[in-house]
Parts: sequence; structure tokens; C-alpha cells
Amino acid sequence: MNNMTTAQTRKLTYLGGIVLLLIPIIWLGLPSDGTPGSGGTLARLRSNYDLGESDLGNVDPSSAAMNLVLLGMRGVAVNLLWIEVDKQKDMKRWAEMQAVTESIVRLQPHYEKVWDFNGWNLASNTSAEWDAVPDRYYWVKAGGKFLKRGVERNRKSTHLQYHVANLLQKKLGISDEAKQYRKFFLHDPDPKFNGGVDPEFNPDGLDSYLAAKKAAEIACEMEKFREQHILDRSLFRAMPARCQFDYAMVLQKDGKFGEETREAWQEALNEWTQKYGKEYFKVPVGVGEEFFDIQMEMDRDDIKQSAKSPDDVVKIARAVESYRRMVNYYYWRTRGNCEADRETSEAHRDFYEATQFYRKQELEKAKASAFAGMQKFESILRKKGYEDLKDEDTLVEECLLGIMVWQDIHRISSESVPEEFPLKWLVQLRQENPSTMQNVARSFKRLFLDD
Amino acid sequence: MSFDPQPLLLWYRNHPTKGFELGAIPIWFIVAGGLALIVFLVSLLSVFVNHRGAGRKVFTGELSGCLSDLGSLSPRRIGALAKLTFLEAYRRKALSVFVVFALLLMFAGWFMGDTKEITGDQVKVYISFVLRAVSWLTLPVVLVLCSFGIPEDIRLRSLHTVVTKPARRLEIVLGRVIGFSLIGTVVLVVMSSVGYVWIVREITTTVKTQGLLRCRVPVYGELSFLDRQGAPSDKGINTGDIWEFRSYIEGATAARARWEFHNIDESALDAEGNLHLESQFAAFRSYKGDMTRQLLFDFKFINPEKPVGPNQPLTFTTEARQIQENRGVTSKINRKLGRDGDEKTYDLIKDFVKKDGSLTVEVSCIDREQYLGMARPDLFIRKPDQPFWIGYAKAVLGIELMVILVAVMAVTASTFLKGPIATVLTFCLLVLGGEESHKFMDELVGGKFKGGGFLESIYRILTHMNPTTDLPDNPAFVGMHLFDSVLTSFLWLCKQIIPRLQYFNMSEYVSNGFDVPWNESVVPSLLVTLGYLVPCVLLGYFALRIRELESK
Repeated sequence: MNNMTTAQTRKLTYLGGIVLLLIPIIWLGLPSDGTPGSGGTLARLRSNYDLGESDLGNVDPSSAAMNLVLLGMRGVAVNLLWIEVDKQKDMKRWAEMQAVTESIVRLQPHYEKVWDFNGWNLASNTSAEWDAVPDRYYWVKAGGKFLKRGVERNRKSTHLQYHVANLLQKKLGISDEAKQYRKFFLHDPDPKFNGGVDPEFNPDGLDSYLAAKKAAEIACEMEKFREQHILDRSLFRAMPARCQFDYAMVLQKDGKFGEETREAWQEALNEWTQKYGKEYFKVPVGVGEEFFDIQMEMDRDDIKQSAKSPDDVVKIARAVESYRRMVNYYYWRTRGNCEADRETSEAHRDFYEATQFYRKQELEKAKASAFAGMQKFESILRKKGYEDLKDEDTLVEECLLGIMVWQDIHRISSESVPEEFPLKWLVQLRQENPSTMQNVARSFKRLFLDD
Repeated sequence: MSFDPQPLLLWYRNHPTKGFELGAIPIWFIVAGGLALIVFLVSLLSVFVNHRGAGRKVFTGELSGCLSDLGSLSPRRIGALAKLTFLEAYRRKALSVFVVFALLLMFAGWFMGDTKEITGDQVKVYISFVLRAVSWLTLPVVLVLCSFGIPEDIRLRSLHTVVTKPARRLEIVLGRVIGFSLIGTVVLVVMSSVGYVWIVREITTTVKTQGLLRCRVPVYGELSFLDRQGAPSDKGINTGDIWEFRSYIEGATAARARWEFHNIDESALDAEGNLHLESQFAAFRSYKGDMTRQLLFDFKFINPEKPVGPNQPLTFTTEARQIQENRGVTSKINRKLGRDGDEKTYDLIKDFVKKDGSLTVEVSCIDREQYLGMARPDLFIRKPDQPFWIGYAKAVLGIELMVILVAVMAVTASTFLKGPIATVLTFCLLVLGGEESHKFMDELVGGKFKGGGFLESIYRILTHMNPTTDLPDNPAFVGMHLFDSVLTSFLWLCKQIIPRLQYFNMSEYVSNGFDVPWNESVVPSLLVTLGYLVPCVLLGYFALRIRELESK
């Protein structure tokens, strides 16, 4: 009887202890009912610091299940999977590599670097291992989609959003296969899209640079709430406008010189000077690391207004100048102004037509167009404010190519090249630069290769 | 294909570079005979030490007992013991492994990418997942059941009841092996059937019609290279790939990859008289060039037995083709070789197959300063495909043979070890039996491994000596080398005892859309299983015979 009482007392004591311990556990871990400030301490802290799964991004039940099943062995499993991925990459086992990559991101869904690295790996390393351009594009797309999924799982990640924009801008726009990639972006080579866009990769059916611009704008918006550590802020926030400049340039490259291109330049100029140029950047100035708010479009009066002392005026002016140089502000402003001009647009058209006529061996027409282009660029480059453009490689190479076509037509027609001709000074200036002349010679040779 | 299936050398051969090589069967006889001799001598010695003058009589008695046991094996008793073993395993809830398998199949789709868009690559992942899941679930169950079966009987003294019956100890071992193999087989057959249905259901009709669920039957040849001057060479150029599986040939030079296919006759052609040559070459561009098309290559058939001039064999070069990197492409070549406008045409079989039945095909890269990479399995003659289930069934057979092997090894180990130790021993043998560990042991035994043997590597580690630095030349180091070489010889013996399990993994063939070849995979696995069955069962029998069953 005595024993029974003792056992019963002990059990009751345990029960009391359990109930007592449950009180702080419930107080700490009570789940939230969805309204702000509800739930236990942990739920409120999670909500305050946006650390809940749903706050971070889309919830993936399989990812949560996998992490739960592994108990505390996630790190070990992830390490083994990374080793596996590396081995599969070396052995060119792409399907298996992609499958293991999926497992890694399920285990580490909020580790941004994992998304970044694997997105890059698919889009750059894997795509380069395929010989056919449509195959390469498939893997670029796989990388891009992967990064986009990374953004969905990590909605607050400025970095991942930047990488999406970067892939669209650079991988599709600047790589060796850029011409085909940009075409595929609008007309996917996969037969299942019937010549249209892949809605997962290009949902809005935009040009790659405009899609990049849109992604960059979102990244800039996110950057206001969560800082990034990829680029200096002034360079980071210049990205949307730079994408618009790239878009306008590529329109010219594609032989479009009408109102559409001029408007694209005008928009780029507005983005650069009115939007980006008016943004405030808090920058350190001087030895004491004092911080000032600067704008790229600040004039002397604006600087004086924001300065507290005459000494600050000098400091701020120096900082503005230094940042303008860093982001190449003057050049893009001048280029934008120049290209938004109708005369420039016509000059580009003349050179483009000259090369097209030349390829068709319509030599007289080509000669006339080239000469018209030379005259127009002579006038543009002599204009006040546009002098710096003579140092801009793309523009100069375009002019030199036009001149080379014009001179070659003279040679073919057994005519001597006139002693004096428009832009002669530019040829003389650039002859000292062998790399420019090599690029021009290469472009000249390729005139009959490119379609 | 990313692997190179090599047939098992059964008897012997005279290799042009490696010299004389013994095959698997003579080596088995040497090792098994050697081990039998050691066991015989050790038993003889121990009997004479323990029984002194009566040793001879005792040994003769034991030997005749053994021979009598061997001669009086009863299939009925073995069958009864196997049935009891099966029931015992069933009662131990061995079949509960199905629950885990069902869970895996239910949720596998979550972890294997987008099911809306199933590509050929994804089919590969599905097939290897099913076969891997089946083997990883079946083998541990069999391993644990087998390792704990006999030790548990000894512990519970139920073995006493069995051994006092007319059942021989050899029959007990055989009954156990058969019984556990049977339960493993039941588990395997059910799982693999469900797995097959799962694969077929997961893969959409569109993918099936594209022929992605396939079972190609390849005929591989022997590959050799010609360098850029046209001289024979072991390998092509290394373009800096980490994985040295493929060798590259340079375009627009005399560099060639030459395949020699054997036993070729009209049966290699399809009904329309076409030869199907499937290739999967890698491209390496030293400059980008024209990106709108892939690199070009052509095939050239050669027959030196029909010269068209002095030192000029009969040749025929096909049209140029674009490579499809990382993706096999089948070229149909009609037996009537000739181009439009050519007066003379050739017959592929009559004009290009040599008297010994071999066909020589040369591959060259056409683009200047570009490179094509190839390995032996990158070009093969594709015979008519088999249905997918045949390849799948062969891969399941591979797992079945592995189940039998595990049952044999674990039952043998359990006759002289306790359950947990027998489990660990068998598990270690399985781990060491992998391809990588055999490769490591081959390097160690063959002296290719940098850093020396056991003592030498310890010395180098302690003295921080680089593996490429020569050791001092003095008697101490000579002794050390001698000791290491003895240990290495022992390792050679161990290596022969550790099973080579690479042949059993047939899922690689099936997931890559190939039939499982008999000579390269099925026959070697069968031989390895048989090779272990006989000595292991005898070892288990002797262990059980000399073991004191009272000792738990």
C-alpha cells in the first residue's frame, strides 16, 4: 500500500512537472493565427524579423519534409551532394547533375549562394559544354529559370534578383552567341513553344534587354529594403538605365534606325539623367569618412544648398565628380543626347545601308551611303559637347568601317581615294591604336560571313 | 555513353603491351586451390597438435565424415530447411520493407524535377532511381537476416534440434542460403515489378513515342588512333578535359579515330539493308567559328585486303555529318555505297568486311583547328532494339545475383561469427567490392600508387617526405621494402577474395537506354556468384562442423 502511494505520488509529481514545463513552452512557441502580434514569443519574433518560411518566399513542402527527415544531418547530406554534383559535372552527366542540384536546393532553399552558384553553373559552365547553339540556349534557360525559382523561394533576396537581371543582360546580350540567344528569347527553338516564347523564361514576351531592365528595376526596388554587397550602390542602381542603353544600341545593330530606335535612346537618356541622375547616394567623403547625399545631376547651386560650410562645397563637388567618372556618367549622357538626335540616327542608317549595299555589290549606292554617313558623323563629332565621342570605341569602329567600305569601293572601281574626305582626322587619330584597327579589319572581313 | 563496358577475360590472352594475362577462371582455381590447401594443412596441424598420436585417426575420421556429408546431400532436406528459413524470415517481418518502398515511390515525384516536362535525361533519372531503391532496400534486409539467422539459432539452442536430426551441417548452410535468397527474391520481384509499372506510368505517352524508353543493342569495336601525321598512336589529344575518358582528334589533319568491329555479316544490317552506326562524339572548339552549325565529321570504310593501288586500300567516305554533342545520333548507311553520279558502287558487306569478319571504320573531323573527342563506346553498330522490359529484367537479375552473393557471404560469416560482427564483415566486403576500391587496390598492388606501401607511407608521412623523392639507400630501407612487398602480396590475396561487384550494377546500361550485355555484365556476375557459392558454402560447413554449438 505504502509502495503504491509512493509510486502514485511520484507519477503525480512528474505530471505536475510536465504541466509546469508546458506553460513556458506554450508561451514561447504558440503559433500565430495570422493577425499581427498574435502567437507566442517565437512566432512574434519570427514575424518581426521576417524569418518565417512564408515570409522568405514560396513554401515548398518537399523541401521542408526532406529537412525534417534528415534530422540534424542536413549538412552532411548537402556536402555529399555537392561532391556528387562536382563529379557529375566533370563526367558530363548533365541530367544527374541537374537532379542532384534540385536536391541541394531543397535542402538549402534559403542559402542564396547555392542558387547563385548553381544558376551560373547551368547557364555558363554546362551550356558551354554543348556544341549546338539551341542546346546551349536550353542550358542558359535552365540556369535562368533556376535563378528565377531562387527568387521565388527568397523573395527578399536582392542578390538573386540582381543575378537574374545580370544573366538576361550579359549572358543573353553580350556572349558570343548573343545574336542567336536574343532571337531564341523571343522565338524559342523548342518545338513545343511553336516559335513563341517560353512563358516560364520570358513571361512578358519582351526583348532580352528590356526583360533585363525590368528585372534590374525590381532589384533596385528590393535594394531599398535589403542592401546588396555585389556592386557599389551607384553602379548597382545604374543597371536599369544601362539596360535601356544596351537595348537602344542593339536596335541599331539590328539595322533599325527609325523612330523606335530614337525613342529608345530618348528613353535611355531620360532614365539616365532624370531618374538615375536625380537619385540620392550617401557617400563617404574625406579622411573622416563623413557622409554626404549626392546626385549625379547636381549642379553648383545644388551642391551649395546641401553643404553646411564652404569646405563641404569643395568636398561634395569632388565626390560628385568622382562618382560621375566611376559610373561613366558624362559619356552616357553625351551618347544619349547625341543618339536621340535625328541626324545621328540618319548617320547610323547611312553606314548600315552602305554595308548592306556593299554586300550585295551595289557599289555606287554603297559609296553614296557611306559618304553621306561620313559627312553626317563629321558634323556630329565636331558639335560642341560631343567631342568626347571620338574616344568611344563602338562608335569610332562603326565610322572606320564605313570609311573602309568607302575606300574599298574606290579600289574596286580603280578610282583613287580623294586626298581629303570627311572623318580623315579620325582615321589618322585611330591609326595609332592597333586594337581598334584590328577590330575594324575583322568586322570588314566578316561582312560577307554574317547573315 | 559515359562508361566503357569491358568483357571479363575468362581464360587467358597475350596482350600486345601488357603481355600474358590469366583470366578469371584460372585465377579462381589458383586462389580456391590455394585456400583449400591452407585450410587442409592448418586442420592437419591442429589435429596433430591436439590429439598427438591419435591425430591421424581423428583426421581421417573427420575427412571421411566430410566426404560422407558431401556425398549424402538430400535435396528434400535442403528444401525443408530452406522453407523453414523462408518462414522464419517472413515471421521476422522482412516484408515490411515494402512499406518503405511504397513511401519512396509515393513521394519520389516531389524530388525528381518537373514531371510536366519529361526529357530523355529525366527518364534516365527515373530508371536509375527505381533500380537503386530496389537494391538499396533489398540488400540490407537480406544482409541482416542472413547474418543473424544461425547465431540466433545457436543462442536459442534451436540448432541443437536440427543437428540431432538426420540433417547434415552442409545442408543447414545450403538451406539457409537458399531460404534467405528466396525471401530476397520475393521482395525483389515484387518491388521491381511495381517499379516497372511506376516507370511506365510516370513517363508520358509522348516520351514513349519518342523512343526514350528503349533498349538499344550495341556491337562495340576496338578503338585506336592516328595522330595528325597519320602515325598510329595509343591516344588522341588531351584538350584539357579533367575527365580523360575521351581522346580528341584534330580537324583537317591526318588524325583519325579507327574502330575495328568483329564478327560482322549481313545480320548486322536491318531489313532494308542499312547499317545503323550510332555515334556520340564530343566537340572542342579552339575558336568559336561558325556557331550556326555543329562541327562536321565523316565515316570512312577501309578494306586493305582489296587494294586499289600500291599501299592504297579500298576506301569509301560518307557525306559529312554534324555532331550531336551529349546525344547519340544514328546514321543509317545503306549497304550500297556510292554517290549520285558515281559509276562505281560498293557493297558494304562484300567489299569492306574482311575475311576474318572485321569491319574498319575511320572517323575524321572536317573543321580545321577544331577537335572531336571520342572513346570506345562512342561509336557502335546498333542492332534492332529489344523491348525495354528485357533490359530492365536483366538489371533486376543483376540485383538478384547480388542478393544471392550477399546471402552466401553473410550465412558463411554467421557460421563462425556472431550476428553483428558477421553483418559488419559482409558489409565491409560489399563496400570494398566496389569499382573504386578495386581500382585503388590494383594501383597499390601494381606499384602504381605514389608513396609506397604500409611502412614506407608511414615513414613519408612522419618525415614529411614528398612521394616523388627517393628513399635513402641503406639496409633499413631495403628491409622496409621487403616487409612492404610481403604485405602487398598479402593484399593481392585479399583482393582476389574480395568480390568484384562492378559487374552487378546493370542499372547504368538500362538507364542509358542500352540492353545489358551478356559478356560484359551478366556472365561475369553469374561467374562471380558461382565462384563464391562453392568455397563459401564449404567454408561455412567446416566452420559449423568444428564449432562448439554450446558456446553462445
